[in-house]
Amino acid sequence: MTSLHPAEAARLLVEIPERGGSVIVATVVGDNQFTGNRIALIVIEKEEPELRGSLSLKSGTGSVIQLMKNILEDPRASDGLHELTIADHLSEVYIEIRRPVQELVVVGAGHIAQPLAHLGALLGFQVIVIDDRPEFATRERFPSAEKVIRADFSDPFRETPLHTRSHVLLVTRGHKYDYACLIRALRMDPPPAYIGMIGSRRRVRATYVQLLEEGITHALLDRIHAPVGLDVGAETPEEIAVAVAAELIMVRRGGTGAPLKGVERIVERFFKEDK
Amino acid sequence: MTHDDDRSLTQALEAAREAGRRCALATIVATKGSTPRKVGARMIVDPDTGLVGTVGGGCGEAEVIEAAYKVIETGKAQRVNVDLTDDLVSWSPAVCGGVMDIFVEPVSPEFS
Repeated sequence: MTSLHPAEAARLLVEIPERGGSVIVATVVGDNQFTGNRIALIVIEKEEPELRGSLSLKSGTGSVIQLMKNILEDPRASDGLHELTIADHLSEVYIEIRRPVQELVVVGAGHIAQPLAHLGALLGFQVIVIDDRPEFATRERFPSAEKVIRADFSDPFRETPLHTRSHVLLVTRGHKYDYACLIRALRMDPPPAYIGMIGSRRRVRATYVQLLEEGITHALLDRIHAPVGLDVGAETPEEIAVAVAAELIMVRRGGTGAPLKGVERIVERFFKEDK
Repeated sequence: MTHDDDRSLTQALEAAREAGRRCALATIVATKGSTPRKVGARMIVDPDTGLVGTVGGGCGEAEVIEAAYKVIETGKAQRVNVDLTDDLVSWSPAVCGGVMDIFVEPVSPEFS
């Protein structure tokens, strides 16, 4: 085996996460004879880990593989440089890591779903749109979605089972549809990563009353992000979509949702007026 | 790099390879201070079709493109250090106050 070609490595970084797997590519970038050599480690659940390419050297590959395994186990790991001894030489290895692609399931294909699907795709989600109306669930209305599915709201996830990488957004045209989808999403084991539901305070309350009557626990209710989105005063469908997208980023990155100005307080801390 | 960035980069690399063209791939492998793009940002320099992606634009990118042409010619990878700290008050778009460490490598069309 020889070094992995950059185009092949790039393809793995795209395809493995789409199949629900993780992939790490290590490239020697230090100034030595192995510079430019590439190796990839592919880890897909329930499958044997697989190596692609080699560093074209007899010894030292083991230390790179060990590094890749360590990085894979660190949930906060990101792309970057690492120093490493390869075949008795101190080398620099550049690591790229891609985790399984996260999925955004937009239930309801109305006017808020359209900008939401766009923003979701921009943020790196694989977007799936579901509606029961064939004239709304069309590819033309959702060009950036991975899949557009026509399904009854009584069993919306039959074709696309939810999993732990699913982010479900309920934006149907009526609260009875939201309720039907919500109760299915809540009963999933293991639960989806995120459940958000649009709606006024009244609509959300009415849904929760029904859920409690159905025997859904308070703890489960608390998992629902409803009304969905950050408070930015959004009114138009596009603005609402941005507010919802901002919440998805907040959940993904662990932010607070507060304005950075207030967090940093630069004027107050560094430019105090002398009194 | 978003998933979409990864995808367009892959397509460009494969297109160059299928057409039998030699190109260069630039990757920001480390940064210090404030830089327009972060670690992982990539750009392909293809003498026939131009640029795909960006490592931040401005003077810094011009340096990288110059290095890329050399890399394509020699077939030898190179590290480029782009210093954006020189003049913080000039308000030039290339001035961000940071340093970027960029790996520029040749991409041969040969199948290994």
